[in-house]
Amino acid sequence: MTFRTIIISIVLILISINTKAQNYELGKVTIAELEEKVHPRDSSAAAAMLFNKGQVIIYDQGYSESFMQVKIKVYKKEGYYWSNFQLGVQPGKEYNVIITDAYTYNLVGGKIVKTNLKPEGEFIEKTNQYYWNKKIVMPDVREGSIIEFHCKVYGEPLYIRDWSFQKSIPVNYSEFKTTIPDKFIFKKSFKGFFVPKVKSVTAKTYGTTAMETTYSEENLPAMKEESFVNNINNYTSGVSFEMEGINVPGIFSKSLSGDWNSVTKTIYEMEKFGLELKKTSYFEDDLKQIILEKKSSDEKITAILNYVQTNIKWNGYNSYACNEGVRKAYQQKKGNTAEINLMLTAMLRYAGLTANPVLVSTRENGIALFPNLAAFNYVIAAVETPNGNVLLDATDKFSMPNVLPLRAINWHGRLIRKSGSSEEVDLIPKKLSESITSMSYVINQDGQISGKARKQMYDHNAVKFRNDSDGVKQDEYLEKCENTNTIEISDYSRTNEKETLLPAVETFSFAGKDLVEIIAGKMYLNPMLFFAKSSNPFIQENREYPVDFGFPFSERYTINIQIPDGFEVESFPATSGVNMQDNLGIFKFVSVVNEGQIQLSILHQINDAIVPAEKYEMLKEYYKAMIAKETEKIVLKKI
Amino acid sequence: MKNQVSVLFFFLFFLVSTAQKSQYPTTIIADSLKENANAVVRLDQMDITIASQRSMNIKKQRVVSVFNEKGLRDIDAYQHYDKTTSIKNIEAIVYDAFGNEIKKIKKKDFRDQSAVDGSTLFSDNRVVYLDYTPVSYPFTIVYTSETETSNTAFIPQWYFLGGYYVSVEKCVLNVTFPNNLGFKKKEFQFSEFKIKKTADTDTRLSYEAMNILAQKAEDLSPSSRDLYPRIMMGLERFHLEGVDGEATNWIDFGKWYSDKILTGTIDLPESTKIKIKGIIGDEKDPIKKAKLVYDFVQKKSRYVSIQVGIGGWKPMLASDVDRLGYGDCKALSNYTKALLQAVDVPSYNTILYGDRYKSNIQSDFVSMQGNHMILAVPNGDNYTFLECTSQDDPFGYQGTFTDDRDVLVVKPEGAVIVRTKIYEDKGNTQTDKGSYSIDENGNLSGHISIVSEGSQYSSKSRTETLQPTEKDTHYKEYWSNINNLKLGKITFANDKQNIRFTEDVQVSAMNYGVVSANKIIFPVDAFNQNKSNIKRIRNRKNPFQIQRGYLDTDEIEINLPVGFSIEFLPSNFELKGKFGEYRTEIIKKENNKLTYKRSMFLNKGKYSNKEYDEYRLFMEQVSRNDNAKIILTKN
Repeated sequence: MTFRTIIISIVLILISINTKAQNYELGKVTIAELEEKVHPRDSSAAAAMLFNKGQVIIYDQGYSESFMQVKIKVYKKEGYYWSNFQLGVQPGKEYNVIITDAYTYNLVGGKIVKTNLKPEGEFIEKTNQYYWNKKIVMPDVREGSIIEFHCKVYGEPLYIRDWSFQKSIPVNYSEFKTTIPDKFIFKKSFKGFFVPKVKSVTAKTYGTTAMETTYSEENLPAMKEESFVNNINNYTSGVSFEMEGINVPGIFSKSLSGDWNSVTKTIYEMEKFGLELKKTSYFEDDLKQIILEKKSSDEKITAILNYVQTNIKWNGYNSYACNEGVRKAYQQKKGNTAEINLMLTAMLRYAGLTANPVLVSTRENGIALFPNLAAFNYVIAAVETPNGNVLLDATDKFSMPNVLPLRAINWHGRLIRKSGSSEEVDLIPKKLSESITSMSYVINQDGQISGKARKQMYDHNAVKFRNDSDGVKQDEYLEKCENTNTIEISDYSRTNEKETLLPAVETFSFAGKDLVEIIAGKMYLNPMLFFAKSSNPFIQENREYPVDFGFPFSERYTINIQIPDGFEVESFPATSGVNMQDNLGIFKFVSVVNEGQIQLSILHQINDAIVPAEKYEMLKEYYKAMIAKETEKIVLKKI
Repeated sequence: MKNQVSVLFFFLFFLVSTAQKSQYPTTIIADSLKENANAVVRLDQMDITIASQRSMNIKKQRVVSVFNEKGLRDIDAYQHYDKTTSIKNIEAIVYDAFGNEIKKIKKKDFRDQSAVDGSTLFSDNRVVYLDYTPVSYPFTIVYTSETETSNTAFIPQWYFLGGYYVSVEKCVLNVTFPNNLGFKKKEFQFSEFKIKKTADTDTRLSYEAMNILAQKAEDLSPSSRDLYPRIMMGLERFHLEGVDGEATNWIDFGKWYSDKILTGTIDLPESTKIKIKGIIGDEKDPIKKAKLVYDFVQKKSRYVSIQVGIGGWKPMLASDVDRLGYGDCKALSNYTKALLQAVDVPSYNTILYGDRYKSNIQSDFVSMQGNHMILAVPNGDNYTFLECTSQDDPFGYQGTFTDDRDVLVVKPEGAVIVRTKIYEDKGNTQTDKGSYSIDENGNLSGHISIVSEGSQYSSKSRTETLQPTEKDTHYKEYWSNINNLKLGKITFANDKQNIRFTEDVQVSAMNYGVVSANKIIFPVDAFNQNKSNIKRIRNRKNPFQIQRGYLDTDEIEINLPVGFSIEFLPSNFELKGKFGEYRTEIIKKENNKLTYKRSMFLNKGKYSNKEYDEYRLFMEQVSRNDNAKIILTKN
């Protein structure tokens, strides 16, 4: 390579860098951009982020500043949503947020016309005492407009906001830059399907050395909502940061969090956690009575869980830190998650059990992938037994040992021992939550049906049933049931409504006039009647995220049908079944016809709470086959 | 005499001994009040004192016994405030079932937050509310508040019964007012409830009601506003955000509104006037001009709701809308009016209740009413109404949000009450044409064209704006009767000129026909099954209403698989009654072809509770026949 070609290639590289860099600067709107009618990679997009750049600079003194530059293209009216923008601010600190260079660009008669945002389009909403919102409304936005603005936030604490590369619209380029002095140690974690490019250089801030790191991603597709998803944020490409320690040679060094052990230790040492857990005097007298006669661990666990469930109400707030403290919660008979479950743990310990708190991230909070303090927002209790951990959560009044409310079932939790050491605990239920239904009915000459059914529900199914029917008047419940199933119900009864250790049982008699179709003198009916599943919940063609059932389950039915005199079975759904690979699930349909009687036994069982997206097609086919079978008809004809 | 003393003594003693207790233990509530009730309002009292045209004080006292979680929403312990309405005092005390005090909640323990609903971007209205987690049920809350405001244009309406599944033990309204402000009232639905008027003079009005039983919510009922007793109140001389007003009739009201609220809001920059005149060109016809202006506004503006001070009532300046390109319903209507004025087309701000449920402006009660604004353009003897917040609606289309109701058209020379456009049942059409084939395994493939007009246009045309995944979900829900549905090509034609929306959809589905032994069974009507599930309601109490009728007609070609013969074909069916007409017909053609024809016409109307079962049976027969199946047997 000659010297000349080197120069040329350097120039070329410089030019290409330059042109590329230009694309991601504010104020460089082109006619071509304004003329663009649809997004090149997603013609359905209502709007797109042409770029979204964020930056956080941490200063030596321990505060931070952040910047954001956004350029949005609006393709359709539905994209007008993106012409209003809001940002949370600390109450009273609204002047720290400054919006500049905010323009709307339009193409008018082949010329670029820009309109700037004036103060009349900026608002401070004093939402409540905890946070305010800065809102801007961009002027003169139409189909085809481009919107740009620059947002600067001063004087923020030593803190870096989470950054999402992906949005619900396509993002052409997203970049997040951090400048962090060497003395501050931040932990970063990535999530989502796309991994950013990372580039680091040494930077200077007021004399001390710092590291400037840029995370960038290009051409990100829009995030799409799907059903049966745990929390879509788990799959959105993003980066988050958490302060891990301060390191000034010779002065001090403190690890705030870092690995899981130090995170849990930090939490454990918080007054609102560890100290609260140690308190016992407030309940001792009462608890002695409760565990007086209880000998075995199981008995003690049940009695204590039940005691907390019935006496302390959950106020709906999640946290691993107490708010008013366990003592006050006990007196006032209500508290947040920490107050209730730390109290529960303390009581279990007092009763001589090896009980420990388990830190959890709720479904709403997302999966705790990387060690940091914000990874958790909830706490439950665990009792170590020879058969493994028994997980407990007293915030739900119908929960049971090892049957947690759904909000708390989110991958893994961290159990903290008295010593401060911790270990991972699998929260995903392994045990099948069963439901067993038996039904027998008689068909009369006119095709009318009368029969009896009994449904037993276990574990999660029981919790769901109890929560759903709690406080609902029986009349109302039955009316709904009758309407959806087109039957009339009589002799309805429930057993073990409050006895959480026993299965919840529903029994009833029913009569239905419209369950059998009579066509040309023949009777047609679905043998499972109203228990048959008639539509596939998985209607999507493709799947991006895992399907989350919450818990593994099985549904069993035994059905006995008495056909009317003078009729015989012309055809009936034959025995068949579906087995999914990797023991994911099984469907069995067994039918026997015997002297005017038809007997069926049906099993629908899903063995894993979470089904990965790769198995979606198989799961969909499974449901398809099951529904086809369950909707197959019995045909009866006159002898 | 001796007896009297002891009674008195006993009474005193009783009072003393219970001084620390509330007089509202839940144990003494009559059983009849507890029936169907999640909560019982023991006392609901409002004392309104209007001191002058610019001063109104409202004291509320609400004692509610809550029996379960659902009853929590009947506590209603919240108070709105803003720059002109201040909360002087707000407090609550909680008692247990026996009337022992559990907790006192002071003003500072209430939550204070910005009161914006989902569609409003910014408002200076705020709300203070109680967030209480009960320890156990039942319990009783005694809530009291006092507010003061200079706005007397709105005197709160008084509802004797606040909702469903809640009963009221005692309800009291006291209003005092100077005799020179022209206080007036209107009573609604008093007849079936025993409401006592305890005072009605030129300075005082009082009502009392006892023991109103809990009501159940029933489908298709009129709004509770139109079922249960309430009172509207107003002043002829009132005050609104710094502006005095006086109106005894709609003429005065219209003049006041034009002079004080609308004046000076419709000036436009010259450049915009020139631009709009350029767009109009030589067009002379006012309606055609209005159409061009409406199109201009739709392309230029978007809906953003910002409500600050008088801005809650007074439209933003038209020149600001022109510059910013956004505004709320008042701003956008007013802007359109300004543009129309620039091209010499008169138009009028129109106040109404915007809702799918049709509600009228009370024509015999002159006062500030309504929650929405549209624009009326005179068109012959009538008006064309423009919904200026929509960027998609066809010109003059009123869909289901502003149709068929009394509205107030505000003219500078006085306001008038006008009925908006009525969409006739027979014009609310959906016309389906298509075909499908069934193969020997019961699989379906076909295509259909759906043309929607009248009020059906409004729901269908929205499909056009859906994202691909939403569109997929929409059709899979629309045809939930077809399992394993797969959508092929979907195209839309939105004819805004004739207000007609056309969907062309290709579909296929595995196992549409259920194969049992050597038979295939499937419902003939694949594409337009009646979906209205009319619930059985025992002892229905409320009348019911069908707000909008419609006419659906379908004509579908069906190709049956070769090698099969028809074992059974549903017979033709016809149903006629006061609710409508329904008809299906299957015509057999050669080569295993069928033609399926269906028409369903539903009348709008108001019916008594007694007729409900009849309606349910009518719809049930329709559903059953829509589901009628064909049976094929293999040759």
